[in-house]
Amino acid sequence: MSNNHPQLRAIITRRALPRVLLLFTVALGLAVAPVPDPAAAAPTGEVTIGLAAEPNTFDPHLTVGRNTQIFIVNVYDGLTARDAKGNLVPALATSWRRLNPTTWQFTLRKGVRFHNGDAFDADAVKFTLDRAINPETKATVSSELSTIARTEIVDSFTVNVITKSPDFLLPVRLGELYGLMLSPKHTNAVGKEGIATRPNGTGPFKLVAWAKNERLVLEANEQYWRGAPKVKKITVRPILEDAARIAALQAGEVDLISPIPHVRIADLKRNDKLVIKTVAAPRIFHVTIDVRKPPFDNVKVRQALNHAVDANAIVKSLYFGYGTRLATVVDKGALGYDPTIQPYPFDPNRAKALLAEAGFPNGFETEFDSFTGSIADHAKPAEAIAGYLQKIGLKLKHNVFEFGAFGPRRVANQTAPLFIYSIGNAYLEPSWVIRWLTQGGLGMHYKNAKLDEMLTRIEATDDPKKRAEQYSDVQKLLRAEAPFIFLFQADAVFGMSTRIDYTPRPDETQWLYPLGLKK
Amino acid sequence: MRAYIAARLATAVLVVLGVSIVSFCLTFLSGDPAEIMLPPGATAEHIAKFRAEWGYDDPLLVQYGRFLRRAVQGDFGVSLRHGQSSLPLIAARLPATLQLTVTAMLLAIVLAVPLGVLAATHRGGPLDLLAMGVALLGQSIPNFWLAIMMILLFAVSWGLLPTSGRGGLAHVVMPAVAIAINLMALLTRLVRTTMIEVLAEDYVRTGRGKGLREVIVLTRHALPNALIPLVTVVGLQFGYILGGAVVIETIFTWPGVGLFTIQAILNRDYPVVQASVFILATGVVLINLIVDLLYVWLDPRIRLG
Repeated sequence: MSNNHPQLRAIITRRALPRVLLLFTVALGLAVAPVPDPAAAAPTGEVTIGLAAEPNTFDPHLTVGRNTQIFIVNVYDGLTARDAKGNLVPALATSWRRLNPTTWQFTLRKGVRFHNGDAFDADAVKFTLDRAINPETKATVSSELSTIARTEIVDSFTVNVITKSPDFLLPVRLGELYGLMLSPKHTNAVGKEGIATRPNGTGPFKLVAWAKNERLVLEANEQYWRGAPKVKKITVRPILEDAARIAALQAGEVDLISPIPHVRIADLKRNDKLVIKTVAAPRIFHVTIDVRKPPFDNVKVRQALNHAVDANAIVKSLYFGYGTRLATVVDKGALGYDPTIQPYPFDPNRAKALLAEAGFPNGFETEFDSFTGSIADHAKPAEAIAGYLQKIGLKLKHNVFEFGAFGPRRVANQTAPLFIYSIGNAYLEPSWVIRWLTQGGLGMHYKNAKLDEMLTRIEATDDPKKRAEQYSDVQKLLRAEAPFIFLFQADAVFGMSTRIDYTPRPDETQWLYPLGLKK
Repeated sequence: MRAYIAARLATAVLVVLGVSIVSFCLTFLSGDPAEIMLPPGATAEHIAKFRAEWGYDDPLLVQYGRFLRRAVQGDFGVSLRHGQSSLPLIAARLPATLQLTVTAMLLAIVLAVPLGVLAATHRGGPLDLLAMGVALLGQSIPNFWLAIMMILLFAVSWGLLPTSGRGGLAHVVMPAVAIAINLMALLTRLVRTTMIEVLAEDYVRTGRGKGLREVIVLTRHALPNALIPLVTVVGLQFGYILGGAVVIETIFTWPGVGLFTIQAILNRDYPVVQASVFILATGVVLINLIVDLLYVWLDPRIRLG
């Protein structure tokens, strides 16, 4: 697999370096606001995009699902943003630093205007964050902003965000994920229903038309503070069916589509009028093990399960090789991913030996839950995993649920001792994923005092370089403890015509600002 | 007649109410919207808070009472996903669905009647065989498969029609054919059977006997009588057509009620699902009522009461 590749380590180091340097610069408040370059070419041309889903709303606090969050950033800006490689970079804030464990100070960019001409300043930040945490807003994203206690205006271009407990992730939260900034005047004027379809952001594009299920039209914001985008008009067509979406690209009706089923990649790559690009998506597949229940309280049993499953074969056969075998639950785009930590090798004999050592030479009876109908396909990998586990002697009862029926079971902690799941690491930060996976609820019960201590130390470290180093030990501990059957992450697949130039981002964001037409 | 219509309308209200109860219970059983609505990082605490805010933690009966109280006022609640009132959201998508289903029905009838008549008048001959072959094929082809094959052939390979979406007349062709094909097959067989029966009637023999031209016998005397059962079947098939439209609208991203409802089901947007079921059920009941009334008008021998 790719993480055995000798070049990868070098790539990771090269990737980490600019990220670290940049953040340091930012933290020191040295970032200089980029000024729109008047000599830059004016936006030209039109591009049509076919997406499986359109946003549910342009109200950043009522977004449902990643599909909305990864799209509406084209109209808004957060205080921070990510660059093409996933590094956190300044956006509406030029710098940020922690004044004390629970106070983050953001210095705001001057001279930024909303699409309607309103000026962006500290009032807008306070208004937006107050709205997000106001119970009356019924924000769907409130869980992600629940650490915020209040926002204080220091001066017109400086705000302090005070958190209830130390939150090292706040600058990421207040970026493209959950920190898209609203204009107070406009938001009050159009009301809650109005903002859903009439957004007024500071982003690179303005929403000019939206007929749900039909088309959504974006127009370049020529006054954008980063400089005008390259394309003047972008039409987004929601095309639900994979086959119809691919057909639209093949027929030349659209220039860019996503997603594409992995099974179609080889066939589409043969078409010289198309370009297919893949990027590792930060969705981490794993099997949760209920470590409280014997025999899963025995680490040897958990290690045996990890040796039993051939995740490489699953990536090869179900994803046609477009995926990455993971050694733990840290994905390869995340901060501090350590490619030197080797995944458990597929070794059924070793698995059987470990089971025998644990006192189960003939295996044991247990249950395994999986489901259909969620955002990603879990049913097919689960079928393969069940087969592998039976081969080492487990008498497995494999329950397949509809996702809507499985969800409440998980919320009520009524899952089988083993269940497949996946988590999208939108924060690109391992601690966020691991905290969630060890929360002690929703069917996840692994606890480890040492791990907790390591994470607490990491979370107190603002310098990403120092955080990254510490994650190696976390990954080693997780691998040895095997509280999950570690699986893989799959690639996201994009198809485009040869007339456009577009590089998909590793955090799934459909950032259309750099999209251009080839000369 | 007036009493009949009143009775039928009363039944219609009961049917729609019954359908609403069933749809309410089914959505309740199909699970909680919280997990789909909230970001992946939501913990049990956040999920509980969400359920309380939207009233999903109340007992079933309390939820149903609330639903019914609002529903009789035409309020199915605010869409969880779109943040807008659900009934107008569905109503706004009705014209697209009607455009598609009515086109499909007309297409099916326009093809089925001549095919059925040809088959009946050439009973046992090669034309009958051909017509019945077409009908059998039309009845056996899964419409979703046909839809994708048409996209590949007419849109991708030949570039004659757009692959999906709604726009000009060209956009409606493939989805309408995909929906029409099964109905066309059914109607062809029906027209053939009734036509054969009617052609054996005394008045047809009389017509022929008094020297009328065969065209007149067929179009003036036989066909109108043969078409009466067609009206019933077309009416009864309306619900079925709407069901087919759900699949076809999804494949072609046709922005109608079906597509919107499927998305609402997948996203557990209950207020939209309930509003949609209400509108579709009302539509089917009304169409059936109209068909029954048409029947009386077409065949004065039938008495209602």
